[in-house]
Amino acid sequence: MSGPVLSARDIRMVFGGVVALEGASIDVKPGRVCGLIGRNGSGKSTLFNCLTGFLKATSGQVLLDGKDITGHAPHEVMRAGVARTFQTPRIDFQTTARDAVLCGLYPQVKHGFLSSLLGLGAARREERQLHARADAVVGRMHMDDWASSQISKLSMGRVRSVEVARAIAADARYLLLDEPAAGIGRDEMKVLAAEIRGLADRGIGVLLVEHNFPLIRMLCEEVTVLDAGAVIFRGTAEGARQDERVKQLYLGAAAAGEAA
Amino acid sequence: MNFAGRRRNTLIMIAVAALACALAPLSATWLDTVILTGVFALISLSCGLSFGQAGILSMAQGGFAAIAAYTTAILATRFGLSAWASLALAMFLPAVLAWGLARMVTRMPELATALATLALATLLEVVARSWDKVTGGFVGIAGIPPVAGFEVAWRFNILVWVFVVLAVMFYENLMNSAHGRALNIVRHDRTRAMADGIAVAPLLSSMLATAGAMAGAGGWLYAHYITYMSPQSLDIHVSITALLMAVVGGAGYILGPVLGTFLLSLLGKFLPAQEAQGLFYGGALIVILVVAPQGILGWIDRLMNRERTRAPQRRAGQDEPRAAAKVAP
Repeated sequence: MSGPVLSARDIRMVFGGVVALEGASIDVKPGRVCGLIGRNGSGKSTLFNCLTGFLKATSGQVLLDGKDITGHAPHEVMRAGVARTFQTPRIDFQTTARDAVLCGLYPQVKHGFLSSLLGLGAARREERQLHARADAVVGRMHMDDWASSQISKLSMGRVRSVEVARAIAADARYLLLDEPAAGIGRDEMKVLAAEIRGLADRGIGVLLVEHNFPLIRMLCEEVTVLDAGAVIFRGTAEGARQDERVKQLYLGAAAAGEAA
Repeated sequence: MNFAGRRRNTLIMIAVAALACALAPLSATWLDTVILTGVFALISLSCGLSFGQAGILSMAQGGFAAIAAYTTAILATRFGLSAWASLALAMFLPAVLAWGLARMVTRMPELATALATLALATLLEVVARSWDKVTGGFVGIAGIPPVAGFEVAWRFNILVWVFVVLAVMFYENLMNSAHGRALNIVRHDRTRAMADGIAVAPLLSSMLATAGAMAGAGGWLYAHYITYMSPQSLDIHVSITALLMAVVGGAGYILGPVLGTFLLSLLGKFLPAQEAQGLFYGGALIVILVVAPQGILGWIDRLMNRERTRAPQRRAGQDEPRAAAKVAP
């Protein structure tokens, strides 16, 4: 029970008359990549949004390292160390990649609105530190070569990298990725996979919501399969591939194709 | 170099203000126009900050200026307080009101925010008209003393432009900081802002309070220049005009509102009649929205960007000038 972990316990989520989640639980542990899969409408996104504070669960708990953060506002959850990305990149395409990373550092800003306005020395010093820190993140994520390009000119794979860099810039301990492989090619997917693996190796707990099963197999130590709002399988990716119910409900055609 | 980049808008503003202070006293009518331009520039800058940077369409900026003007008018005529003593309160009251207003409106969609602020401005006007004992009702308050030491118009002109320079300086400080960037993220996408760890409501409250104080400074100057304050002095018309000036100049650019105010108030001088002003402003807005949706500064920025991207291409093209010549007949 103890030890650092981001976990959802018995989440039940009802939208009007529709039950989106029925007693779903998941654990995201530091240094591990955890996969969350399921058919469209199985409740993946709902669970994802409950974990990040974008939705408040009807009942159940979200715990961050043992502390109850159920119902906390998204920006509070983020500041507590749980970062997320979006399936469709929500990013200002007119800015540069480096500026986007700089925006991700906002939770670390200590000086107030008024001292920025008055241009006090402390605020200006901190601003310089923020720029240096953004450069450090850019270097760590191997973005130096193209960090000063406008985001609209980057490929989708690089935009995803920018999103990841922005999310973890403020030293997030958990990173929740919403279909990061959507809309990117095979080669870029490999680059992204290496990046995600690198983050986990540095001790970040990663939750990967994904439709791309090869990526899940490549990265995840543990896979949770959702169907109709409930967890139907939890185990290794290989185990999920072998499981009869998962095969039937989710992998279906894909697994049959692979077997053939 | 870095300093000039970070302070570029302030430096330009100092140059413009110096020019305005040096040239305007040459003619009495122009001096009057330039002083009022400075006053409106402050109100318009507050629109630029709230609408251009954070996407909050506030129609109450004139109302904030009016609160400040009434505050200083009442303190000066009833209690004999000096203008300088009432300046703090004249900026503080609209800031507090704007803070509270932000708490209510920032959950609303853009159009609803505009209507809510418009309603507030209307309400303020009704209060000013009917609270006879305090505001003087329809008649208003006459005989507001000028600011001590700045009784002469050309001196007052300098005071006004010092205020504008200070406002631009603070505004630029803010936009060079993480809080300024956060405001831009909020304008662009609030969900993104939350995922970046930005507490949207308090940030917008601080911003609107700042904008309120800025408009308040404009109102304070207005009251002590005109020396008369009535419900018609800084009405909804002023709110809308200030917003229009910001949009025409380029609301997303720090100096956009100042440019817009200059253009519209100086060009407005050449109009034959005051009645034609609405026609002129409406026309200007339509032209701007069609030709340059980002305002005049946005249009200039776009042209310069195009030049900049074209220049390296030209340099790269020099290796094979003949091929380039063939493409361009």
